[in-house]
Amino acid sequence: MKGIKILFAIAVLVMALAPVGAQDVTTVTMWFSEGSTLDCWGPLMLEFNDVDPSIQLEIVPQANSWDVTRTAVAGGGGPDIVRTPGPSFVYEMAQAGLILPLDTFSESMGWGDFFFDWALDLGLVDGQLYSLADELETLVMYYNVEVFEEHGWTPPDTMEELNALAEEVEAAGLTVFSHGNASWRPTNEHFVGEYWNQIASPQNVYKALTGEIPWTHERLVEAIETLDAHMKAGWFGGGVDLYFTNDGVYRRTSLAEGSAAMNIEGSWAIRGTVDYFGQSGMTWDWVPVPSHDGTDYYTIGMGNTSSINASSPHPEAAAQFLTWYFSPATQGKMLTNCLKGPAPVAIGEDVLGALDPRIARIYAELSDASANDRYGYTTWTFWPPESLDHLTFEVERVWTGEITVMDYLERLQEIFAEELAAGDLPPIPTR
Amino acid sequence: MAVLTQKKPKTLFEKFNDATWRRKFVTNVLIPWIFILPLLLIHIYVVAIPAVQGIYMSLTDWTGVGMNVEYIGLENYRELLFEDDKFGKALGNNIIWMIFFLTVPFVLALFAATMLSQIKRGGMIYRSILFIPYVLASVVTITIWKNLLNPQRGIGAALDKMLGLEDVFGIAYLGRSETALMSIAFIDNWHFWGFLMILFLAAMQAIPPVLYDAAKIDGANRWQEFRHVTMPGIRPVVLFMFMMVAIWSFLAFDYIFLSTQGGPGGASEVIATLLYKNAFFRFEAGYGAAMGVVISIFAGFIIMIFVTLRRRGWDI
Repeated sequence: MKGIKILFAIAVLVMALAPVGAQDVTTVTMWFSEGSTLDCWGPLMLEFNDVDPSIQLEIVPQANSWDVTRTAVAGGGGPDIVRTPGPSFVYEMAQAGLILPLDTFSESMGWGDFFFDWALDLGLVDGQLYSLADELETLVMYYNVEVFEEHGWTPPDTMEELNALAEEVEAAGLTVFSHGNASWRPTNEHFVGEYWNQIASPQNVYKALTGEIPWTHERLVEAIETLDAHMKAGWFGGGVDLYFTNDGVYRRTSLAEGSAAMNIEGSWAIRGTVDYFGQSGMTWDWVPVPSHDGTDYYTIGMGNTSSINASSPHPEAAAQFLTWYFSPATQGKMLTNCLKGPAPVAIGEDVLGALDPRIARIYAELSDASANDRYGYTTWTFWPPESLDHLTFEVERVWTGEITVMDYLERLQEIFAEELAAGDLPPIPTR
Repeated sequence: MAVLTQKKPKTLFEKFNDATWRRKFVTNVLIPWIFILPLLLIHIYVVAIPAVQGIYMSLTDWTGVGMNVEYIGLENYRELLFEDDKFGKALGNNIIWMIFFLTVPFVLALFAATMLSQIKRGGMIYRSILFIPYVLASVVTITIWKNLLNPQRGIGAALDKMLGLEDVFGIAYLGRSETALMSIAFIDNWHFWGFLMILFLAAMQAIPPVLYDAAKIDGANRWQEFRHVTMPGIRPVVLFMFMMVAIWSFLAFDYIFLSTQGGPGGASEVIATLLYKNAFFRFEAGYGAAMGVVISIFAGFIIMIFVTLRRRGWDI
């Protein structure tokens, strides 16, 4: 009888303590697209679970995480951490009250201590912080070192030098830029944005983005006319029609194997570049995209943003995860191990020193450019959605000769003016 | 002399008192409704209610995110029909697509089905081979054909190399404005026509052989047999598929989106791809909903034509 009483007492104790134990662990959910990125990022992000056992991160793989996240969040569900492809998506969700303002968390958890000043501003909607920018990106010009050495070429600094070099590249029977948009049609916007920044200057792009000058300003027109001329001359992938059918494999192999000389692409392409050049046995390097006057401009872009779902039952725990995830230590580790574009936070010299010097130089130069007024604007980070859609897809009609550059820019000006008046623009850091 | 008397109809109460009527009511009315009710409820939930919501959203400025909507009347329809040149172009492409699919696959399928119906042994192998593309996922089909049509490593390039030509066959079929739409239609047709062929073949095999025997006795040749025996025999299937293909033509999306996303420069844009871009890239879900309603109106119009023909005695 005594034994039964002891067993009963133990059972009561276990039953009484079990719920307490269960309540102590808070699960923070995050949805992520399946694929090689998750394969590398996932295990590193799950290291958070060792930091504080009372908060556990759960990563749920999705076939297309943004599409399902948007649908679920709009319906009052979804993960605790809401990742979006850019600030313009944040704006829509914040306006709809689907994500939480983060100002209180930012203050209490000291996010301002490690994020760059301008970076937190990117997450502002109507003066409140709604998102944290992730995956700092820029575009550079990659080139095949052996091809350049073989022909005695030097990478160009200015557009004029690029013009001269392109003639020599074509005379050598090579493609100037290994490009195509068959795998990712919005690739078009990379070149539109880059030519605006490099030819018209980031200062003029800033003026246009803030409504000070129209998109039909002569410098901005000149930039798109130059891009149009380069496209029609076959610089991008060998011809306009080929540009539309060249896929990602072509882009990588033609540069890595030396049938193309250069490639204007984002820092996100480093991993692929390293892989393909590793297979071909040739050497890659990069220079800033040539500009009108030879100044080294670096356009700034954000690949993703993170916010907290308004329907999250435990936003505090989600904020703690974000604090850990965006810390320079975690971002540095992800950069080193996965070549992930880091969040715009101050990463230590020791981390950059451990990287391939070419890769480290990209982030060091970008940091220097942002501190010295040499930064520009990527379209997917700073343009409102309708203008972005227009500049991305309608430029194809310019390249196929269906409309003129002025038709394209006049329509852009109309759309942009409406969005500017409606206050639909993502935050533009003051320069 | 017979006296005609009018029988007084039973009231509902009297009917319920009648055990035979009650049994028939339960068996013939109540039980079928009970069985169909779950399906009906699901249909209302996933089709009818979203359809009504879609119509309502087409009258708003809904962005597709959250539920902050403002009623704007017919503004989306006005813009769609009178201002949006992209919509006009996409509609034109849908019509070209429909004409293509109402001719090419039908001719191919009728021809192949007629030929296969003559084969007594081994026909199943041919049928299977021709039907296989239909069971491939669209993403697989597009991947195969994007490689086959690749100007550098596709069959056109190989043909050029073999014949010593330059850029004659090895051109960027999906990258040229003038060939993109028809190239995708060709790919979609490669996947689709085998399905039509199987339907026509099944319909042909249901035609009583005695009709062919009678035609032969009357001295009919192959063409006359096809025209006067085969075609009347399979006409309901052909016309039904005509209606379905016409409707499907306005829903074309996957092959186009997976291959060119409507490019280059909108050359292969159709209403469904334009709708998708408006709803998900431009945050104009209300405007996209208006496009969806217009597609539904086109589909309803096509169905109305066929219903009218049926009422006029056509065997559909």
